[in-house]
Amino acid sequence: MMDHEHYRSAMMADPRDPDPALRQHRESCAECRAFGDSLLSFESRLERALKVDIPTSRDVLPFERKAASAARTALKAGPWRRFAIAASVLIGLGLAGGLWLALPQRSLAADVVAHVEDEPQSWQPRDAVAGADLEAVLKDSKLRLKPDAGIVSYASSCYFRKHFVPHLVVQTESGPVTVMVLVHESASRPVQFNEQGYRGSIVPVPGHGAIAVLMRGAAADPPGAEAQALQRIAERVSESIDWST
Amino acid sequence: MNDEVGGNRRRARFQALCQTLRPDLLRFAFWLSRDRALAEDVVQESMLRAWKAQDSLLDENAAKPWFLTIIRREYARTFERKRLITVDVDDLIAKEEPVLAAAEEQDLSEMRAALFKLPDEYREPLLLQVLMGYSTAEIARELDLSGPAVLTRLFRARQQLRVLCGEDAVPDGEA
Repeated sequence: MMDHEHYRSAMMADPRDPDPALRQHRESCAECRAFGDSLLSFESRLERALKVDIPTSRDVLPFERKAASAARTALKAGPWRRFAIAASVLIGLGLAGGLWLALPQRSLAADVVAHVEDEPQSWQPRDAVAGADLEAVLKDSKLRLKPDAGIVSYASSCYFRKHFVPHLVVQTESGPVTVMVLVHESASRPVQFNEQGYRGSIVPVPGHGAIAVLMRGAAADPPGAEAQALQRIAERVSESIDWST
Repeated sequence: MNDEVGGNRRRARFQALCQTLRPDLLRFAFWLSRDRALAEDVVQESMLRAWKAQDSLLDENAAKPWFLTIIRREYARTFERKRLITVDVDDLIAKEEPVLAAAEEQDLSEMRAALFKLPDEYREPLLLQVLMGYSTAEIARELDLSGPAVLTRLFRARQQLRVLCGEDAVPDGEA
């Protein structure tokens, strides 16, 4: 036989509980019926309180553009346009002196790493992205890539920090390097980072935000040399972009 | 060609699904985070993740809990990534005042402020039950809790809400 306390505890946990035993107790106990009515009134207020209107400034669902971009990238039509190899950008390996700094722009670096972690497929070896597809990805950011940027094996327009940005993977002699063109970000000076298995650099591009480059896995070169190399890759990519489009 | 048509159809269907579910998901994210801007970010990112993982949604009827799980994970990831600092709940209430205000019913504003003050472990199962219509078993599965633990949290959630709204507490016999 259900008592008042059990009824009230059960109702407090789930006022809409259709358990026949609860209903039976309610019908036989005026005190609990009054409590139940009061609780249902409270519940109704709770339901209405939760139904807030949340005005949103975002009319376009990001995946629409993302999906369109991914579809373009996935098309494997036509001869691959091979850009000149970016091997030379690693020449500076002998130049030591780059510091593996702590992270004054940690949040940007962390967000870049988090984004790249979310797209593990971008690292998979594959043929170069067709020129038209690459152009389409860059066009979202009103950019063009000059034909000497290197082999781009992945290109996607990605939603990052409230903007769509080009996310590229460029094949270099040191392996694949992710490049994110961050025209909406700002950086006052080059910053190196090393976290969660990714090493990279964020390089300012005067008047055009910044470029992030990163590699994954253990460093093959001394930290200073690799930092220098990454920075040079970023600079090379920056030089290969036609920012004026 | 067929692939392209199929892809377009799939995209349109997925888009329609998102449009339908978005208001509820946004509300859920808002009450979870107590921050409208963050809620928008979380829902936006979650939809991108959902788009990428849409093959894992085998039954469109299960879309809501599927999205909800993605949102909860995305919110947790945001928390880890940004290392959100603890803030005063009164500041949160003041910041979201335009959303919480209910000009026509003062007691709704009061209830909303009380909801903001509920600890996460009580607020979340309550949201799942009242806002999303989850059963106790579904909440237990989503939050990885036992059924009795869910009932206890729901009891305490309502208990605290009642007190915060100036109503009498109910003797805590079971919980």
